[in-house]
Amino acid sequence: MKQLWEKISKNRYYQMVFKNPFTYITGAVLLSIMQIALFAYSGNPWGVSGTFANWGAWLYQLFGGSVEKWFYFSSSGAQATLDAGILSHTGTMLNVGLIFGALLATLLASQFKFKKIKSLRQVVAAVLGGLLMGYGARLAGGCNIGALFSGVASLSLSGWVFAAFLLVGAFIGSKLLAKFFM
Amino acid sequence: MAEFELDCLGEACPVPLMKTEKKLASLAAGDVLVVHIDHSCAMKNVPEWARKQGYNVEVEEVDDGEWDVIIEK
Amino acid sequence: MNTNESRPWNQTIGDNMGGAGMTEPSTATVRKRPATARKKKRNQLPIGLAVFAGMIVIGVLLSLRASSLGMFWLFGGCFGFILQKSRFCFTASLRDPCITGSTSITKAVLIAFALTSIGFTAIKYSAFANGLPIPGQSYVQPISVATAVGGVMFGIGMVIAGGCASGTLMRVGEGFAMQMLALVFFVIGSLWGAKDMGWWTEHFISGAPRVFLPDVFGWLGAIVIQLLIIACLYVAADLWERKKMGTPEGE
Repeated sequence: MKQLWEKISKNRYYQMVFKNPFTYITGAVLLSIMQIALFAYSGNPWGVSGTFANWGAWLYQLFGGSVEKWFYFSSSGAQATLDAGILSHTGTMLNVGLIFGALLATLLASQFKFKKIKSLRQVVAAVLGGLLMGYGARLAGGCNIGALFSGVASLSLSGWVFAAFLLVGAFIGSKLLAKFFM
Repeated sequence: MAEFELDCLGEACPVPLMKTEKKLASLAAGDVLVVHIDHSCAMKNVPEWARKQGYNVEVEEVDDGEWDVIIEK
Repeated sequence: MNTNESRPWNQTIGDNMGGAGMTEPSTATVRKRPATARKKKRNQLPIGLAVFAGMIVIGVLLSLRASSLGMFWLFGGCFGFILQKSRFCFTASLRDPCITGSTSITKAVLIAFALTSIGFTAIKYSAFANGLPIPGQSYVQPISVATAVGGVMFGIGMVIAGGCASGTLMRVGEGFAMQMLALVFFVIGSLWGAKDMGWWTEHFISGAPRVFLPDVFGWLGAIVIQLLIIACLYVAADLWERKKMGTPEGE
């Protein structure tokens, strides 16, 4: 059996598709095709961070909290989504599917390795970075996917404005990284 | 022709590249730097950067999800 | 254009130094390393196939619940697979120009912008031309102080956390504990942001303009101008990299 796996892994086409990395351009083209397909299928472009807000709300509800009075969740659509629960949430399936898709890609390339957190600096960076991203995405109405990628593709000026400020933030972040997190 | 090692296992993007850049600046022409990485991004962006600088680069997969990037200045 | 020059994975050359400490200068020449025994690599293909089978099962179960759930699962899987294979990272597209001057990912992102702009315009225009409501207009966000503050916050956050929203999810799938932690706080941050959105909306966002480019330039004008801007940015990115990293010999 082991021989079979070895044989497949050495196959030229297997190497091309599953073992070797794709070029950035290949990725760009494939992502674009998928993004357009998703838009055509669902009527909405790709978004990632909106789902995180819902996850937060469901988690909060689990601990006895309530978001009913919050402006952000006040629309009937938002309420309906929350009431339907996480297992009926398409955005959740997309995000979790993404995680599994990446996992699958690494396994088929035999490149999976669990990487532990190395230092306190990484903890601080992850916590701070996560909070900033979560909060910032709500403010801007989306993340690098929903507000940037989908925003620009949707011919919205907001996408470009967001991009400009992302660049500013990335610049500041790079300086912080070099100074504190290396 | 000295050989140096740089352990970047467990480092987050873009730390392996930043450390490699720094280390390589202190090396002399002809020296070799072996960078140990386990980050999939780094296995692409470190060799790409090194090649653009004009160095010889080889990438070896030493284990599942671990690579040695061998750079000759 | 593939910059990957890794050898076939099963070639056992070189010795495994597995995370020994820093800088040990030695005079051994690199190219002629002895082929010593290395850590036994496990072929993860069978595990991968098991995961794939599991994903199919989940997909089917979801589809039984609602076909849209199954489809979104499929789309998610595709996005994750593509992102990981190409090591695509929006964070890197904005961060690398600041750190090393490299703009290869920046250019790839610009290409993605161009292709999706064309696709989206086609879909939106076709709806418009048929008198139907234009899909996806909720993604035309208001432009306000909140956009700016949010952009800067997200920019800082994604660089120090080592990944953006899609990048964090991708790295969770790749097994990075750091991004798993970042994800947890991304969710918390999102909840916190949602909580404060009432305040931000009241003070900055309500009344802020939503600018849909075709409203300003017409459909054809909008896509042409957008593509032109992308083209200019592409050239700018190329020039930036040449400036920061030097030009290849002979050019």
